[in-house]
Amino acid sequence: MRGFGELESVIMHMVWDRGTPVTVRELFDELSQERSIAYTTVMSTMDNLHRKGWLDRAKEGKAYLYTPTASREEYSARLMREALAVGGDTEAVLSHFVAEIGDPESEVLRSVVRRLAARRPE
Amino acid sequence: MRPALLMFLYALAVAWYSPALLARLSATGMSARLALAAWLTAIASVLTSLAVALQQLVAAAAAGWHLLAEAFCQSVTGRACAPPVYRSAIIELPLAGAALIAALTTAVLAWRCGRSVQRAQQLAHAHGAAALITGRRLPAASGTVVLDVRQPAAYCVPGRPATIVLTSGALALLEPEQLAAVIAHEKAHLAGSHHLLVAVTRGLSAVLPGVPLFTRAPAEVTRLTEMLADDQAARRSGRPALIAALLALGTGAPVPSRALAAAAGDVTARVQRLLQPASPSPRARNRLALAAVTVLLAATPGLLTWLAA
Repeated sequence: MRGFGELESVIMHMVWDRGTPVTVRELFDELSQERSIAYTTVMSTMDNLHRKGWLDRAKEGKAYLYTPTASREEYSARLMREALAVGGDTEAVLSHFVAEIGDPESEVLRSVVRRLAARRPE
Repeated sequence: MRPALLMFLYALAVAWYSPALLARLSATGMSARLALAAWLTAIASVLTSLAVALQQLVAAAAAGWHLLAEAFCQSVTGRACAPPVYRSAIIELPLAGAALIAALTTAVLAWRCGRSVQRAQQLAHAHGAAALITGRRLPAASGTVVLDVRQPAAYCVPGRPATIVLTSGALALLEPEQLAAVIAHEKAHLAGSHHLLVAVTRGLSAVLPGVPLFTRAPAEVTRLTEMLADDQAARRSGRPALIAALLALGTGAPVPSRALAAAAGDVTARVQRLLQPASPSPRARNRLALAAVTVLLAATPGLLTWLAA
């Protein structure tokens, strides 16, 4: 499934997986093994990611060397903090499957689960 | 002038006294869709009658404007102008002032409410875009990404494209049909644009603090939209899977659907029997009451306007 921003995601994950600074050429070589893609597409996508603050770049000879501005874990943790912030602005728009449950209710639910799990279905 | 006052009083009465009744009728959530409609209709009814009252106030002020001008002219020229001066000073001037203040206040509040909704949308958009890049796509479900986070969580982000976000912690807790129930629940939110209802009611409560209807609406609308999404998820994936998913994500411990499915029959039956004794008539009564309240709230502003005309 290719959709909106799919290439940006694929490229970021490749950069994160490598763990070392990478050039457009290197990523293009890797990408073109699994899909038909133009060099300029990879270049402009990485340029976009740089503009949006996902990638840092430094000139190395003729080419740019790209590094992620933060690790995948940092980005994930940041998103989670934002999503779980209580009373924050995002609370209004992100609807969680279950809200954070308070301790007493959680204890009741836990005991329900324990009791249900203890019943062996015949 | 009298119809404007009538509309204003009606709006006050609904804003202050309807929440208790609506909350009682929607407490069980046995007709979540109708209950949601009743809350939204109450809000629309108050806003409409306030708008009509405002419009009539402005019209009354405009109608009396020539008296004000006349009075001003006469007071400058120093001719006999006693009655119009009294009239204008006592009635028209305050009326014009009130209309001006009311119109300006309404404009500012509407603008602020719109801004708060817009800000919420932008935040969601940015969050969704970042989640789409950071997360890994879940091949089994389109528009769903998984973030590498231990803490179990599942939520949806409205926008273009709308995105459902799961954490790897949630994925590890859920059995396949439970996962399907979670995704169906979130899809129901997105398809029903529930976030918009929540954002608008929250915006209203922020700009009109202290008005019971607007203070209570966000929590009620949130609760009822959750129930609506639950109903749709249960229809798709079955109640046991949905209940197991709720328990698992709520407590952070896995719940085997099989154990639950075996137990759900009698536990659910006992709980339901205790909650609603005898026939299905409570549900029908609840629906009837909610429908009656909704129709009344929807019709009254129009009726008042018609009576005044």
